[in-house]
Amino acid sequence: MYSETLNLKDDPMDYGIEVRDQEAVVRLRGRLTFNDHAKLRALIGEMGQNKPRRQVLDLSSLEFVDSAGIGMLLIAREEMDRADKQFVLRAAAGQVKRVLTVAQIAKIVQIED
Amino acid sequence: MNTGDMMAAGLLAGESDPADGLAGARVLVVDDNRINRHLLLALLERGGITLVEQAEDGQEALARMERFKPDLVLLDLMMPRMDGFEMCRLLRGDPRWRSLPVLVQSSLNRVEDRAHAFRAGATDYVTKPINAVELLARVRIQLRKRAMLRDLEQYHSRTESELALARAMQSRLLPGPDRLADLQAATGIAIDAHFAPSSELGGDFWGIDRLPGGRVAVYMVDFSGHGVGAALNTFRLDAICRQIGSTELTPAEFLAAMNRRLCGLLPSGQFATMLAGLIDPVAGVFDYASAGSTTPMMWLPGDEAPRLGDGSGLPLGLLSSATYDSRQLPMPPGARLFLYSDAAIEIPLGSDGHDVLDEPGLAALLARRLHEPDGARLLDGLLGDLHATGPIDDDLTALLVSRRR
Repeated sequence: MYSETLNLKDDPMDYGIEVRDQEAVVRLRGRLTFNDHAKLRALIGEMGQNKPRRQVLDLSSLEFVDSAGIGMLLIAREEMDRADKQFVLRAAAGQVKRVLTVAQIAKIVQIED
Repeated sequence: MNTGDMMAAGLLAGESDPADGLAGARVLVVDDNRINRHLLLALLERGGITLVEQAEDGQEALARMERFKPDLVLLDLMMPRMDGFEMCRLLRGDPRWRSLPVLVQSSLNRVEDRAHAFRAGATDYVTKPINAVELLARVRIQLRKRAMLRDLEQYHSRTESELALARAMQSRLLPGPDRLADLQAATGIAIDAHFAPSSELGGDFWGIDRLPGGRVAVYMVDFSGHGVGAALNTFRLDAICRQIGSTELTPAEFLAAMNRRLCGLLPSGQFATMLAGLIDPVAGVFDYASAGSTTPMMWLPGDEAPRLGDGSGLPLGLLSSATYDSRQLPMPPGARLFLYSDAAIEIPLGSDGHDVLDEPGLAALLARRLHEPDGARLLDGLLGDLHATGPIDDDLTALLVSRRR
């Protein structure tokens, strides 16, 4: 298990990865917006390399997501499809949960509480 | 020819590249000593710089600036009438020459002299006796820098004017005052609109359509992201809207048709949220469907808070088989409808950015102004409230639709 924290200006998103036997859990923290584009790209690359087939994004510590952020989550879903991995969004709360609900993202991505 | 000159000749042999900023470069040589001037002239000429003028002192140099418009000044310091320090100061006082490279070449070689020259506005400094290689190298560096700066400035101003043009085109996609006045005269439906892209171009878009039977179609779109990419999508969407037409379709069918078209066009990660609705004045209802849009807010005469509709639905461009629910809000005469892009509810509260205004917060702000009769004043007041709440860093569109009769 390892984790990393990157810092950018403007209250950015950061993340930690925990690779378990059955699944890899990536915990996103802070705000996920257009500014985090490069970082999320890198993260998606890492997730494709992780061993477990099941890749979980834990959103419980994510405070805010904008439309560009949702777009990046959808890109992640596509990349995981391509890498033949299972992609799950877990434990969204607050504004993030509301945005996912309004956009009915559950229709195209597996969502767990 | 000394060794330095020979090296300079070698250095200059491969210098025909026009992109290096030397081709057509104009240099003004300022020196009171005729022999020095000729030496510099010969040196520049061998470096491929042939547009050279000379001046004997600062005053004469200043007099030549206007007409010759040099790209670089080679400046001696000790001269009669006006010395190089004074000339440099005067030059920098004129905004046109503020970024002109001034390369001082002087026999003054104390640290204080250099400092003095730089304070007066010199760009670079070489001491006499002149080393040909060094001088030419420095001239080239300064000219190249100037050429690059000019390219950048040109690029910047071209981009700026193109963006302004694109912005004008984009605002012409939206219904103008004439169309809104016609709409109100014909149907009694008044629309007050606010459209503010966060950068030069935005990803927001709205429109109206008059339909048979006095019905009015209204729609609002918000593309993911903002800036040029999102703006290009608004043009695309405008074209598709016109193709599909909305006469025969319910709002839900209209969204499904838009979605199918956009699914093939949008690259992965891009999508649009959209609300499409139909005001039916005879039935007194607003029929609508939503693709992940914000919650529409409607209030009737006597209401104390806006009634919240339902904006949920899969955004356009993600899944081609998506279908949309038909929904309805009452809209009798006197009713008002508020539509807005998500920038209005994503305003951060406080400096830590943990909470945003969200829909309840927006509804509360709106509730204080529900019965302001003047639509424009209501919208202005609400926008003032939003800006007072916190910074808005996305495209903000807001529409107030009032049934006057």
